[in-house]
Amino acid sequence: MLQQRCFHCHEPVPAGTDFHCEVLGQQQTFCCAGCQAVAETIVAQGLSDYYKFRSKAAIKANAIPSELAAQLHSYDSAEVLQDLTAPEGDAQRIELSVNGMSCAACAWLIERQLQQNSAVKRVSVNSGTARCELVWDSAAAPLSQILGQISDLGYQASPFVADSEEQSFQLELNAYLKRLAVSGIMTMQVMMLAFGLYFGEYTGIDAQHEGYLRWVSLLLTVPVMAYAALPFSSSAWRALKARQLNMDVPITLALYYTFIASLYATVFDTGEVYFESVCMFVFLLQLGKFFEFRARKQARDATSNLLKVMPVSATLWDGEHGTPTSARRLQSGDHILVKAGETIPADGQVQSGVSSVDESMLTGEYKAVSKQTGDLVLAGSINHDGILIVRVRSGLTESRLGQIIALQQQTLHQKPAVLEKTDRIARFFVQRLLVIATLTFCAWYFWIDADRAFWVTLSVLVATCPCALSLATPTAITCALAQLNRKGILIKNQHVLDVLPQLTKIFFDKTGTLTEGRFSLTDVQTFTTRYDKDQLLNLMANLEQQSEHPIARAFTPYFRQALPLENVSLTVGAGLSASYQQQQLVIGRPDFCGIDVADPRLNGSQVCFAIDGELAATVQLADQLRAEVPTLVSALQQRGLNLAILTGDASAAAPAVSKQLDISELWQGCSPEQKVSAIQQAVQQGESVLMVGDGINDSPCFHAAHVSVALDSGTELSKNQADVVLLHNDLQQLQTLIDGARRAHRVVQQNLWWAAGYNLVIIPLAVCGFVSPYVAVIGMSCSSLLVVSNSLRLLKA
Amino acid sequence: MSIIYVLIPIAVVFVMIGIAIFFWAVRSKQFDDLDKEGFSILFNEKPASNDKPTDTNPESREP
Repeated sequence: MLQQRCFHCHEPVPAGTDFHCEVLGQQQTFCCAGCQAVAETIVAQGLSDYYKFRSKAAIKANAIPSELAAQLHSYDSAEVLQDLTAPEGDAQRIELSVNGMSCAACAWLIERQLQQNSAVKRVSVNSGTARCELVWDSAAAPLSQILGQISDLGYQASPFVADSEEQSFQLELNAYLKRLAVSGIMTMQVMMLAFGLYFGEYTGIDAQHEGYLRWVSLLLTVPVMAYAALPFSSSAWRALKARQLNMDVPITLALYYTFIASLYATVFDTGEVYFESVCMFVFLLQLGKFFEFRARKQARDATSNLLKVMPVSATLWDGEHGTPTSARRLQSGDHILVKAGETIPADGQVQSGVSSVDESMLTGEYKAVSKQTGDLVLAGSINHDGILIVRVRSGLTESRLGQIIALQQQTLHQKPAVLEKTDRIARFFVQRLLVIATLTFCAWYFWIDADRAFWVTLSVLVATCPCALSLATPTAITCALAQLNRKGILIKNQHVLDVLPQLTKIFFDKTGTLTEGRFSLTDVQTFTTRYDKDQLLNLMANLEQQSEHPIARAFTPYFRQALPLENVSLTVGAGLSASYQQQQLVIGRPDFCGIDVADPRLNGSQVCFAIDGELAATVQLADQLRAEVPTLVSALQQRGLNLAILTGDASAAAPAVSKQLDISELWQGCSPEQKVSAIQQAVQQGESVLMVGDGINDSPCFHAAHVSVALDSGTELSKNQADVVLLHNDLQQLQTLIDGARRAHRVVQQNLWWAAGYNLVIIPLAVCGFVSPYVAVIGMSCSSLLVVSNSLRLLKA
Repeated sequence: MSIIYVLIPIAVVFVMIGIAIFFWAVRSKQFDDLDKEGFSILFNEKPASNDKPTDTNPESREP
């Protein structure tokens, strides 16, 4: 029998649960209370059309823990709002980033839900970037109410401030669209008129009509030259001013020479016009650039949620009451209250309270650190289970987190430069082309036939038009980007595909990159006959569900069936206990379960499970290697790449991993600064370096390496800063990426050889005057077409 | 053939209008999210009333 699946999220429905709701006139089953509640909200709001038209299942809706719901209220504080919103009339505008959107129907759902709130003036959800732009009256409805409405639908929304870089990307994309429209529409018009002129060549045309069509073509080509081709000419101008030659120089040269020749022909009514070639050339180049830019912008948007890392709000503690405030306004000496599940908003010293704190984002160490009075806590780390009162030592900008972000800004401008290959070719090519064109002109003008000198030079320039040469790289790169995107590899920087084929060294972060970054059960021993192993694991999973501790989460996959537990109590840093069918269950550290630590049955296990004081099971936990890592490592070594591990972990786990994977180079116990210098050292030795990481502590060295790769499971900051993000959390994609880059490199080389070979044949003919400008245009178009179709092969790879 | 002296300028004017409309569409963010707009036609303009779907549907199934 097929397992029943949840109507909302399509995940399997666990046995022994019963969640129902009537949707679209039919009774549907759900996997959990969260999904059921979301479906009820959707039906009650009259939005059940969502289920009819959605193209993907929703993300499983987890009921929000009450602590997080309370955290939403901290966004209502006037100080926090002031930092996050911009006034618009008498209303406020804010940008939200929404988690859990899977298709365009989700965007519709959120818009409709919020439009029913009378305080909301305008709402627009972008399904591509998972952002929501909201204009609302904060006096009529607090922000927490609106965020609550979004979470009723099963999405998590949090305030977001777009960085300036992102805004400039949006402006540039709009400019690309406009230029594309101008050059595309004008190309159609000019081409239409050109057909009139072509037919005129054969059947005869009045000189008056021909002149008229030429003048109209000229008029329509002017906007293309003046507006759409502007990026090429300004880039060429910049290069020339810096006394350098790039690919845009021959492009601009060919464009202007052809345009001015046609202009001359039109005004003096002689020779040929090539307005349609000018327009088409600009349009094709713009099209390629537009697609490449859009792919990069989408990749960037999907990963730039920087502010999520920076804690937004804090609770000031005056000894009795907590008042919410903005985290940026905390000062040294303030006392703050940090509840379970919250992010610690500033560096400070614990005044009272006991808890375990997850500092993995900052140190790479995934084991929770227990904190008590007098211990130091770091901004950006997450408080797991207890309540802490913290005395602030330094505000957000001077905190460790702030320093790491500052370090990263510094390294941003130290990215090792790669000389772009096409620019080198351009330099070589342009110099020779200019010399040949000048010599041709002089030779024809002074010795052969002064009247034909101008037209022969034109055919030399058109025939050798760098069209094919300039399309060779961008088309191949665009196709490779699209293909890798489809496989779930987001590439945000253009140069990545240039560098990867020459790669010599890869640095891996350990925790969360080579390993899974979380505990999983490696060995379970049972010592009781009352239950079998599966039942015991289910019992333990039921107990551990009550805790947020990382060890507790290791048991989640073993949860089969909900059991009625009573008197559940949690002891921070030790374990959990409960009663079930008149039995006392205890899970946690051996001494907490009343087991002698020297008991031989323990055999080094970290977690014990006792029923009525009798040892029932022992569990070993470890952070395991990702399943795909061993095959990946040997595949990379076969390709002749040097591998190294770069980790902040100082424990014995690091050498164990390096030994298991046969990676001899190991840097362990590194601070973010040491990581940066390790990579800079390798770069200075002439290596092409790739860095794979996932934590905040990895992000500064992302800029030190030639290429940086982050996993989708990594922190938002690392994804934001990386050049490449692997969306499927599968490290095997690293190999796909490298192979894809090498394939793209081969296609680029084929294209360049073809373009160069074609030029070698056509130049002597053109110089001798055997190639009429018309033939030169046909030859140029055919060679471009060949280059483009060769690049398109990459899409099928 | 002198009609082309009238028709081509008219065509050029239309082209200008088309480009102006496109620029306006870009500026008013209509190209920011192409997926969502494709979906919008499927949904009712006004949210359906809170009645049960069987009541609003005249061809409701016989019990």
